[in-house]
Amino acid sequence: MLGYVARRLALAIGTVFAAVLITFLLVHIGEGSPGAVKAGPGATPEQIDAENEALGWNQPLFVQFGQLLGQLLRLDLGESLINGRDIAADMADRVPVTASIALLATLASGVVGILLGVLAAVRRGGVAKTVNTGAGIALSLPAFWVAILFVYVLSIQLNLFPATGYVPFSEDPAAWLNSLVLPVLTLTVGGAAIIARTAYVGMREALGQEHIRTLRAVGTPEWRIRYLHALRFASVPVVSVLGIQFIALFGGSVFVETVFAMAGLGQSAQSAALSHDFPVLISVVVVATVVVVVTNLLLDLLIAALDPKVRTP
Amino acid sequence: MTVLPLDAADDVATEPLPPTRRRGLPGFLRRPGGIFGAAWLTFITVASLTAPLWVPYEVDEQNTANRLALPSAEHWLGTDPLGRDLLSRIFTAGTLPLASSALMLVVAFGIGVPLALLAAERGRLTERVISRVSEVFLALPLLILLLAVVGVIGNKLYAVMAIVGLLISAGVYRIMLGVAQSVRQRLYVDAARVNGLGSVRVNLLHVLPSMATVVAVQAAQLFGIGLLIVAGLAFLGFGPAEPEPSWGFMIQDASSYIFQQPWLMVPTGIVLALTVIAANELADAIAGRASAEKRGRRRRRRAAAPVAAPSISAAPDAILDVQGLTVSVDDGPALVTDVSFSLRQGRVLGLVGESGCGKTMTARSLMGLLPDGVSVSGGSIRWQDRELAGLSEKVLTAVRGREIALISQEPMVALDPMFSVAYQLTQPIRRFREVGRGEARQIAAQLLRQVGIVDAERVLKSYPHQLSGGMAQRVCIALALTGQPKLLIADEPTTALDVTVQAEILSLLRALVRDTGLSIIIVSHDLGVVADICDDVRVMYAGQIVEDGTTAAVLDDPAHPYTMALLGANPHVPEGEPVPVRLASIPGTVPPPGSWPTGCRFAARCQFAQEKCTVPFPALPAHGDGSVLCIRVDEIHAAGVNWGAERAGAEVSPGAGLTAAPIADEPADEPVQTAGVIR
Repeated sequence: MLGYVARRLALAIGTVFAAVLITFLLVHIGEGSPGAVKAGPGATPEQIDAENEALGWNQPLFVQFGQLLGQLLRLDLGESLINGRDIAADMADRVPVTASIALLATLASGVVGILLGVLAAVRRGGVAKTVNTGAGIALSLPAFWVAILFVYVLSIQLNLFPATGYVPFSEDPAAWLNSLVLPVLTLTVGGAAIIARTAYVGMREALGQEHIRTLRAVGTPEWRIRYLHALRFASVPVVSVLGIQFIALFGGSVFVETVFAMAGLGQSAQSAALSHDFPVLISVVVVATVVVVVTNLLLDLLIAALDPKVRTP
Repeated sequence: MTVLPLDAADDVATEPLPPTRRRGLPGFLRRPGGIFGAAWLTFITVASLTAPLWVPYEVDEQNTANRLALPSAEHWLGTDPLGRDLLSRIFTAGTLPLASSALMLVVAFGIGVPLALLAAERGRLTERVISRVSEVFLALPLLILLLAVVGVIGNKLYAVMAIVGLLISAGVYRIMLGVAQSVRQRLYVDAARVNGLGSVRVNLLHVLPSMATVVAVQAAQLFGIGLLIVAGLAFLGFGPAEPEPSWGFMIQDASSYIFQQPWLMVPTGIVLALTVIAANELADAIAGRASAEKRGRRRRRRAAAPVAAPSISAAPDAILDVQGLTVSVDDGPALVTDVSFSLRQGRVLGLVGESGCGKTMTARSLMGLLPDGVSVSGGSIRWQDRELAGLSEKVLTAVRGREIALISQEPMVALDPMFSVAYQLTQPIRRFREVGRGEARQIAAQLLRQVGIVDAERVLKSYPHQLSGGMAQRVCIALALTGQPKLLIADEPTTALDVTVQAEILSLLRALVRDTGLSIIIVSHDLGVVADICDDVRVMYAGQIVEDGTTAAVLDDPAHPYTMALLGANPHVPEGEPVPVRLASIPGTVPPPGSWPTGCRFAARCQFAQEKCTVPFPALPAHGDGSVLCIRVDEIHAAGVNWGAERAGAEVSPGAGLTAAPIADEPADEPVQTAGVIR
């Protein structure tokens, strides 16, 4: 068990390191330089050189990489080239936005997806066909298109929810929830579809297991077989996919953040990419990678708690 | 070692292969989803690539007088905010996402598949190194990293999609490694290597072809994801620059005009969504997933028509009396026909025969535990003073465990892997005996000791995967005893166990019969088990009982040729008898349900078959103290012949003019043994 934990931790650290290295190399392989970005479009080559010198861009690569690692270890993410703001402070404002969206969307996907998948697996026939076909379509729809569709129907036509903006939880919990309905709903369409398919396949597989017949043979009530034994068996793949979903939605929230004008991590990545704000790009990748890595570790623990085969020798 | 033919690769199905291919049409084109997927993808590809030749307007041809128009005769799909024709723009924009997604696939598979082949071939160390690196790649946040890439190298979509291909090659590698490893473990690949085929040729000839289905499924799915990424990037402003059209930016554009002209959303969105749906449907169709629900009917129990009170009841003191039992696939062939037997308290009855003879179906029908789509379609199952055939699931649930219990063939999978032994035992104990948690646990420990488990407390705390096969079977027997049943159905209870453990389990069952007055029905293809424990035996062949009687009578003096054959094929030689030079075998296989011949169902494989065996014969001829379903039973008995190792010679003429029953290529639900070798 200890070796297993050590291996997972090593992998986690390796992943973050790889993310830093890849983005660092990308920035240095690319044509532009941070000095040019900072000096602005009208700058002379001399001004750009001066900026690059001040940013340490002309030092050897390994020195720069060492400095970057040292900075990150001190949780110092540097300053934006565009507006000079402290990136760490900026991230602290942005991560809760994206995390709220991704977390709520994962929860909603889990609830809706498991309900539909289990329903399809238990009822079978036409219900299963409808759910599977519907899920196949829903998971193919582009999130940004769905988002605009929801804005049109639920916000413009029915005037139920605000079309844009994010209200922090600490300010007004009700408004926070209200501002999240549309983005979460958008991401739930695809997320629930994937979970529904996973839950359906998992439940069908579970109900076909030999031990289900053993349970029937001792007169176990049908509801107990389905909703306790089979569901427990199917929970392992479903929880794994839910974890993957959280990671995917954390990145995928960039689309809904753009549509709904929410200042999250994804939007920061988008604007930094548009303006070639290299320190912000590196920071966003590092923060997102840390989120992914931590999610994966939690997922491992959760699977171990669920599955005795993982938990016990 | 037999060397398999080298073209055996064609016969190997990787997991999701579509069931059967007929008349050359690939399987996925036989499903509506597959037809739609293939047709739409072909259409959109051709229409996009040829767009410059046929679109009615130039992509940058503006007409400000006709902005945001709805569909009309001039503009089939309407116009955009600058009055440009949507149809022309949508199809002109198609080439970029289609081609760059294809490029992504080429990169992803071009890296992932060779690495998987390499890792599968080179062994542990290489596999570890590549797998660790791929795990790191898989854990990177794809979309955010992609934005960083775009931020550095700019809006070069082909280069960006190639990098996407590089990143997802880790996922491709993971899936393909699994396939490659399972293929390489197959015998014919070993055989090919032993034959001296080089590693490249082994991969090309054997490993790659069996990967084809999985590659196709993954490629179709990833293609859809690629399209979404390209469109998404363009939506975020990282697509081709205006006036060059792109799907993503057109949707972005539409969102700005959602108040004035919501229609603008529709055409581009539908084309993009349809293309992604088409890719996913194609993937599902190739994987054969859509067919999963073809036969998906709800568990429905067809009420059996119990036959009129049987005139001959075998034993007046029988607790179980089965008469004329017929089990069939709903709207399909019969699996078991006209089976009758009875059982007295404290007796052990054996059902023997090769796999696929209907023994298990007969046994399971007694508890109503038939597979979906199979039901009792005739006859009666008289249990004590009640009729069980045709009862509702609810009533049967009350009988199961409490009156009739079951132990099954594979103890290692018969227990729920997610729950402890204690939970699995106390749960039914509490229900059956209406006791509290603590008392139930005491009873559970007591039951475990009763089935010969010494350290009951430790076993109670265990999970099924921590038990050995013999231990698991003892737990299963304890579980079957929780409801204090009067009848135990044991379906091949020792088949999956080691020989020494088999003997222990059998003596345990014998002790239960002696001490508790339990009755047992044992399903087995092992004559040793039958000889060891059964009082009576019923020999089954192709869904019917061909010989019945006491165990001693049937085994010592078999009357039906099939019973003779089973005994002749039994490798266990009784002490004091000479070891035969050749073991007898039964040629051919059990004909599957639905293709049983008229007359004697065994005739096609019988050494003693004659012309008269192939016509229906009226009634079961009585023989000795039991009955034998063979029209020649007295002739064979009088001739004093036995089933020979070689095909019988002159003394009994072989079945001249007999044709073997046509063997349909539908799978039997049990693996059919090729020779009648009895373990």
